[in-house]
Amino acid sequence: MWRKLKTGSGCFASFPPHSLIAAGVQNVLHGTWGSRYELHYSLTQHLDLLVRQGSPTSIMVVFALLIINKAGGLIYTRTFAPGLQKLDSNDYLILAGTFHGIHAISRSINPAPPPPPSSATSSNLSSSTTTSQPTTQAPPQPPSSTAGNPTRRRPHTTGIESLESSHFRLTCFQSPTGVKFLLFTSPEQPNTDVVVRRCYEMYGDYVMKNPFYSLEMPIRVEKFDRGVAGYLVRP
Amino acid sequence: MSVYSFYIFDRHTECIYSRRFTQQPSPPRTTSSTLRNGTTVPPSLRQANKDSDDAKLVFGTVFSLRRMCRQLGGVDDQFLSYRTAEYKLHYLETPTQLRLVLLTSPQVGNMRTVLHQIWATLFVEYVVKSPLAPTEHTGGKGVGNELFEVGLERFMEAVFRPQQQQQQ
Repeated sequence: MWRKLKTGSGCFASFPPHSLIAAGVQNVLHGTWGSRYELHYSLTQHLDLLVRQGSPTSIMVVFALLIINKAGGLIYTRTFAPGLQKLDSNDYLILAGTFHGIHAISRSINPAPPPPPSSATSSNLSSSTTTSQPTTQAPPQPPSSTAGNPTRRRPHTTGIESLESSHFRLTCFQSPTGVKFLLFTSPEQPNTDVVVRRCYEMYGDYVMKNPFYSLEMPIRVEKFDRGVAGYLVRP
Repeated sequence: MSVYSFYIFDRHTECIYSRRFTQQPSPPRTTSSTLRNGTTVPPSLRQANKDSDDAKLVFGTVFSLRRMCRQLGGVDDQFLSYRTAEYKLHYLETPTQLRLVLLTSPQVGNMRTVLHQIWATLFVEYVVKSPLAPTEHTGGKGVGNELFEVGLERFMEAVFRPQQQQQQ
């Protein structure tokens, strides 16, 4: 993880994996550094400084990471800092399943009006609210029954991306394969989408590329554990 | 910066008020669709069914999320809002377990004070204090009176229109 430092250029090749606000730190630090130790020491000093520049009681911390597979089953759960209630593994399983269902429902209660139709092909023309109650609704409309509206395609709606409560914020990132990454952080934590994408990158590197990992199964990969802990746990 | 819809649920988990602020596109059908057993459903009834189904979905979502937040954050944790790429849902629960839900565009900020004001200056004034409204609004009885509706419309105009005017 530690790569050679570019001296004299003012930009860094890498920074300690646990520096969550390293992007901001990058702009602060410049100049040449003689040794890695000096860099680490000064970076942590600047990290503390930047954290304390906020309000004295605001602590930006990541509480937990949950990974849910395509079917809604929990495949990874890890808490990094206290702040959430202690739940046992069964409760986490139920929570993951509940969230999976709510995520699907939140896609269908989209109240937004559809975007104005484009001129010629009108491929975006579709109804805004998608039907989610197949029992009481009519079967899908026959295509090309009306002029100027060849097919009715449902808009590509996304589910819950972020949930705010008074004690925590939940960021949900859904990969194109349907795997959901839930990140529980304190409400003041900035850049949660960057953090969750970094976790997704680590998932791709350490879990997906592991030849012994079977898909959709609980993740028991030590490198992933160490990588995620190094990135998300503040010293 | 626009508001899409607004719901009020009472403590008996019933939707007592729902209001849409955007025009839902009525599907351009020439014939009314048929159910599986061959009976036809008129479009107005179907739209009413869809509205009530939407309200039930919203309530179910909000109820489950609130329970989840209580489980994770402790008993005093309050679910505030959630955001998707298409809309943002804001939630306020009063001490009488009256639930106000507002769906807006995703860029909108914290609407908690707006919801609180709707409750305090519109609902309490025009519904609770109305001598003609019953104490239990089963089926929405007593909530949709004219003062409340007009007041809500004006309030939403005041909150959401000035941003558009400022941008112009």
